[in-house]
Amino acid sequence: MSLDVVITGAGTVGPPGAGLEPLRESLREGRLELSPVEALPGRRPGGARLAGRLPEDPFQPWLSPREARRMSPASRMAVCVARMAVHDANLEKEELAGPGLAVSLGTAFGSTTYTAALLQQALDAGPTAISPLLFMETVANAHAGQIALALGATGSNLTISQRESSGLLAVARGADLLRQGRAERVLAGSVDEVSPIQHHVLDRVGALARPTPQEDRELPRVFGAERDGFVISEGGTVFVLEPGDRARDRGTPILARLTARARAADPSAPLGDWGHGAEELAERLTGELRRQGIDLDSIDRVVSGANGSPRGDLLEARVLRAAFGNALPPVLAPKSVTGEYGGGFLASALLALDEVEWAPGPGCAQPDPELDLPPHDGERLAPARRLLLTCLASGGSACWLVLDREPGA
Amino acid sequence: MTRVFVTGLGAVSPCGMGVAPLWKTARAGAHAIRELELFDPSDQRTRLAGEFSGETHAGRDLLPAARRRLSRTDRFALAAAREAVDHAGLDSGAPWRNAGVFFGTSTGGMQEGEQLYPDVVTDARGAAARRRFLDCLAQPLGSPAEAVARALGARGPVETSAAACAASTQALEVALGSLREGEVQLALVGGADGLCRLTYGGFNSLRAVSPMPSRPFRQGREGLSLGEGAGALVLETEEHARARGATPLAELAGAGTSCDAYHMTAPQPEGRGAALAMSRALADAELSPARVDFVNAHGTGTPHNDAAEWNALREVFGERAGRVPVTSTKGVVGHLLGACGALEAVVTVLCLREGEVHPTPGQGEPDPEAAVDLVVGAPRSLRGARVGVTVNLAFGGANAAAVFRRVDVASDDPLDDGGAA
Repeated sequence: MSLDVVITGAGTVGPPGAGLEPLRESLREGRLELSPVEALPGRRPGGARLAGRLPEDPFQPWLSPREARRMSPASRMAVCVARMAVHDANLEKEELAGPGLAVSLGTAFGSTTYTAALLQQALDAGPTAISPLLFMETVANAHAGQIALALGATGSNLTISQRESSGLLAVARGADLLRQGRAERVLAGSVDEVSPIQHHVLDRVGALARPTPQEDRELPRVFGAERDGFVISEGGTVFVLEPGDRARDRGTPILARLTARARAADPSAPLGDWGHGAEELAERLTGELRRQGIDLDSIDRVVSGANGSPRGDLLEARVLRAAFGNALPPVLAPKSVTGEYGGGFLASALLALDEVEWAPGPGCAQPDPELDLPPHDGERLAPARRLLLTCLASGGSACWLVLDREPGA
Repeated sequence: MTRVFVTGLGAVSPCGMGVAPLWKTARAGAHAIRELELFDPSDQRTRLAGEFSGETHAGRDLLPAARRRLSRTDRFALAAAREAVDHAGLDSGAPWRNAGVFFGTSTGGMQEGEQLYPDVVTDARGAAARRRFLDCLAQPLGSPAEAVARALGARGPVETSAAACAASTQALEVALGSLREGEVQLALVGGADGLCRLTYGGFNSLRAVSPMPSRPFRQGREGLSLGEGAGALVLETEEHARARGATPLAELAGAGTSCDAYHMTAPQPEGRGAALAMSRALADAELSPARVDFVNAHGTGTPHNDAAEWNALREVFGERAGRVPVTSTKGVVGHLLGACGALEAVVTVLCLREGEVHPTPGQGEPDPEAAVDLVVGAPRSLRGARVGVTVNLAFGGANAAAVFRRVDVASDDPLDDGGAA
């Protein structure tokens, strides 16, 4: 991990809108923005109804209507946030394009909107009715491919899909490409859309939070006593990663340094759920960070990927307690505001390096005493020197990133 | 730099369960592409596919409910992984405590998703519909890797590359980096994909499939044949392999990736992206193109792919391009999409081990517009062969290549063959 990898640009789009500032405002106010999802025939009484949806046409001026017509919703988001990130990094397409520019994108589901449309075509009119355009965009790497087309990125083009940890793994992989000398710059991040079928299936398998009589809407009660699942959101986030010396040479602001990453698996995790291997995950986390020269004592705050899932939050709490013991720094839980999937979580991590005064999410009023891990109560936190970004995925995959603030930033 | 050895191979293919039937079919110049039985392909441009028919016995140590929820693709992944691990002389459990699982897939459990879809839109009820909802937990693309990690007890990284037909070759690159860096000393790398209606119909809609079994690099070729299955390789650092007395089958010497950034489904006609991936893989292996003894090409059998690939070979090998023996395993088993890279890596290692390159099945004259030195008819003996390259091109323009090098265990320094790039 000798090469200094930094983030010099960020693009994000999600339910609060396009760019980091609308997201910062949502986090500051603890505002969860949910909208109805079209009901499919099998929706059960009391089932989930809401998800984080994009505001109307958030893509201007990043994507022309003509370009958008050729793309799935996920590809539109991906290209939009990639262009935003490049602009934010004070780069021009012309100086980026070529074999030195790589793309590493995570997606949990790809374009479920287009997959459902394709399945419906086949159901209605037979498999010969399948549209080539829809088919092309159902392939999970279509979004990364569209970024490459839009920006002339002829370097490595990677798509990582590992449920909830897809985005972190993709950013970690992007940093690896730089450290291994396989790229000069990387556009790394995550994207996911919300579709009625995806929402419906996740609800029917019991993954989503349900409305309660008190609230009449579902809430992700992250680390909460009455948590019953997560809410999903659509959106995307892309970072520009590049070697630190290169960024400093061109005088662009450094948003964060990507100092270390750790990856692990919990083989006790059943299919589509979380397991109980907290001690082993914590051991892997501490061992991997130590190998990269990172002491857990140096971490100012944790930006947790906990999402309100009963077993997922329990595992997260136990891993953090096993790793940090009583020296656990403040734990922020942005998915109580951003929801699961999309790009809100990655973008929140960047914002969490700044001075933070985030109100607790609307579902976080009653922490679960069994977890012994109350999420941060909203008190103002000074800018961080170093944070740990965590994500434990259903199915057992885990990824952690360490982000540092650039000295003097 | 840390050297990485292949110590175990596994395969599930239309030729049957295991590496042995795959190699036997490939050596014979035969193919396993036949009438599709898994679902009704009526009205499509072809009725053929490389379909696995048989029993993988995957997940037999699982509880019945857990076993039932494995997707077809999960089963392929588990069976290939189990064979590779057995081949490497490893058990599950303790050896995998700090090991990684790196997989590639393109469709994951899509077939199970297709079965569920009518239930969703018609509000089907009852036990069978409920079960199909739960089956969908195995639909996400990460599921095969998770199933393998669970079966092995792997606690290192688990990561799924989802770059369509380049996915599992990309997984080789990820694993190579992880092993070289010291994140893990042992890894299971593979790819798995099952046939499903969506991809079958999709490739038909693109008119990319051949009415007849595919004929890579032949004149008048009409397209690809889809297939299904899995390939798996046990990789370990030289130190780890030697410490446990494992027999190295080959060295994974290098890997490289690139993107055409040209078109979402068509390859860049001059093969620039594929050439870049191969050149990067060779540079990563510190080998010059002159050291390459054969290429296991992507070789789908579509007019555009094979022509672009020939141009890529010309770019990499120059005047020697027409003299480098080339084979296409897809002519044997069809196009396994996200699994093709891993399965073709398995075959590339076998070619090095056996000192011969398998022939590419199919009738017809070689295409003068794609004038590779295609191995046809019978295996080409390459007793002195030391280096094989495998390459894959994908939707979205993604390309990936890997370089395998023969390990001569009789020599103290078997890989000192010079030829730095």
